[in-house]
Amino acid sequence: MPKTILIVDDDPNIREYLETLLTDNGYETIVAENGEKALEVLAAQTPDLITLDIEMPDKTGPWFNRALQRGKTYANIPIIVITGHTGLKYVIPNAVGSLGKPFEQKELLDLVRETIGS
Amino acid sequence: MSERLLLVDDEDDIRRFLGMFLADLGYEVQAASNGTNALELFETFKPAIVLTDIKMPGMDGLELLKRIKARSPETEVVMISGHGDMDLAIGCLQYEAADFVTKPINHDILDAALKRIDEKLALRRQLRQYTENLEKLVSEKSHRVVELERQLAAGEMVETMCQAISGLSADFGDKAGYFNEMPCFVAVHNRSLEVVATNQLYKERLGDMVGHHSWEAYVGQALRGFDGPVWKTFETGKGQRSRETMLCKNGRELPVMVHTSPLGQRNGKVELVLELAVDVSEIKRLQEELRVTQQKYMDLFEATPCHIALRDRDYRIVANNTLFKEDFGEGVGKLCHQIFRHRDEPCPDCPVDVTFADGAPHTLEAVVTCLDGRTKNVLTFSAPIRNGKGEITEVMALSTDITQIRQLQDHLTSLGLMLGSISHGVKGMLTALEGGVYRLESGIKRNDAARIADAGDTIKSLVGRVRNLVLNVLYYAKSRDMAGEPVDITHLATNVAQIVEPKAARERIAFTWDIPAGLGAVPLDTANISAALVNILENAIDACAADTGKDAHAITFRAATTADAVIFDITDNGMGMSQETREKAFTLFFSSKGLKGTGLGLFIAHDVVKKHGGVIDLSSEPGVGTQFHIVIPRQ
Repeated sequence: MPKTILIVDDDPNIREYLETLLTDNGYETIVAENGEKALEVLAAQTPDLITLDIEMPDKTGPWFNRALQRGKTYANIPIIVITGHTGLKYVIPNAVGSLGKPFEQKELLDLVRETIGS
Repeated sequence: MSERLLLVDDEDDIRRFLGMFLADLGYEVQAASNGTNALELFETFKPAIVLTDIKMPGMDGLELLKRIKARSPETEVVMISGHGDMDLAIGCLQYEAADFVTKPINHDILDAALKRIDEKLALRRQLRQYTENLEKLVSEKSHRVVELERQLAAGEMVETMCQAISGLSADFGDKAGYFNEMPCFVAVHNRSLEVVATNQLYKERLGDMVGHHSWEAYVGQALRGFDGPVWKTFETGKGQRSRETMLCKNGRELPVMVHTSPLGQRNGKVELVLELAVDVSEIKRLQEELRVTQQKYMDLFEATPCHIALRDRDYRIVANNTLFKEDFGEGVGKLCHQIFRHRDEPCPDCPVDVTFADGAPHTLEAVVTCLDGRTKNVLTFSAPIRNGKGEITEVMALSTDITQIRQLQDHLTSLGLMLGSISHGVKGMLTALEGGVYRLESGIKRNDAARIADAGDTIKSLVGRVRNLVLNVLYYAKSRDMAGEPVDITHLATNVAQIVEPKAARERIAFTWDIPAGLGAVPLDTANISAALVNILENAIDACAADTGKDAHAITFRAATTADAVIFDITDNGMGMSQETREKAFTLFFSSKGLKGTGLGLFIAHDVVKKHGGVIDLSSEPGVGTQFHIVIPRQ
């Protein structure tokens, strides 16, 4: 049973990149373009991990995270932050890891594997 | 002078002929026919000589003689006697008749008799004149003696007063140094405007003016005539005080302060005037020095290339310099906040208020509007101005124009801001590019044609994004002119409306637009103009969302073209802006939206429109709404 990863990013090119990279490495992926859409996805299925962008139009990464932390159901899903902003990791204090853009593919895959296995 | 002669005779012929003869001799003759008539005529005619017949009906000549002599002993009476009246005639002489002639009258004898009388009359007149002259002379001499006595007394009085004054000034000791040094000229003048007496110093410095005219000691008074302080004192009976210039003996002019006061009045008229003149040349020199110093400070105040205003505690401007007046108009007497920042209420951030409170200098940076509508960034320094007691009476506000520095800073800051946002964008694009490369490589490895093609498209579009980004950086890096291909205005405006519509809908604002079809094509920088319009429309939405005063909000967006321009109107009924906000609206990093605004939007909109040679007109009223009127010329 492959692990499912929710990719949240407003840039379609980056969503496509992460989707391809993670699928090629044996994970199943779901995508969302902002925090609000991501919540809608969560209503349908629970992923094992979330990659989260910080700055997105409308509902940002921190907004989405606060929504997750308010309930019990999703609060434990590990989050990996992938952002272009340096020094903004603290806005998601519960994240298991944080990668800057552009990131090393190996670094991401190692972190994912460490967190949820392959 | 012809003597008057009264001829009295009862015979008509004698009266007529003798009358003619006497008139020929040069007498002014009147005649009477009897004694009673003669006496009446005597009263009115007042003759010096009376020639009368002795025998007349009624009152005879002797009786007439007696009566005339009783009334006027000096009148000479000559009697006319007939034959046989000799005793009577001689008797008349006892009653002081001057002479007598006998009838028939011998003209030569009469002439001789009259001549003797004339001589007698002339002698008597001469005697009287001598007597009168003598009396007059005695009177004059004695008057002169009195006058001299008076002048002597006045002179003594002057000297005594001078002694008193110097004694008085000596009592003041060192505290009145100047007073001790002050030479004081004292003079007394009489009604004829003559100097009657002077003190010693007057004599030494101005010369012996006693007997001269009062005005001679003054420069310019000789021409002006009777309008000096001495004359005024005589005229008004009141003491005078004026600044005059006196002429020294050596020709030097001396500034003096003159005090005059009336001395002794007779019949309501001033008899003498006391004049005290104090040499004020040293005071004048000090005053001049003070004036020069003040002028220097004034020049400095006026010429300083800063706006300087002095304000009192009631927010009134009490002084302002040239540059201040040029840029804000004459402010003296007006309210500081009205003139400087167009506010009805005092500015909450006023540094002058703080200086009034703590006496220390303070600074404030503010945006102010000049008379010609230009806005200026100014840095204001406040400094207290104290009175002799050390109390702060006014505070000076000195404002330096830092607009150019701010503009430069704006540019630098916007560059820095751009760099921040660029680096974020570049990171995203690099990541996406890496993704494209990964998918291209993995596609080739897997021989997945679809993935290869897709990755190619991604990379291509990303290259386009990088290109745009680089162009944007170039736009901010150097100010270049906006230029562009002809753009369909209907299309541009519709696009803008569609971008903004969802946001307006979310805020439940009725957003309507009036964009006629076929507005034509105008060369514009599409991206920048669109961004400018979106910025303004988004501001309108924020202004409506922030307004709690109205139940419903609406925004209208209108586009139009004329022969020479493109016009956009954006109207909202949001919270509106105060004049101060309105003036600063286009300033970089000025935001009325607190943390929600960056202060960039309207600045860039203004910049873009300006670079197209256009203008943005902004009118707004707090609580009512805001209108933006944008005009961009076709050229």
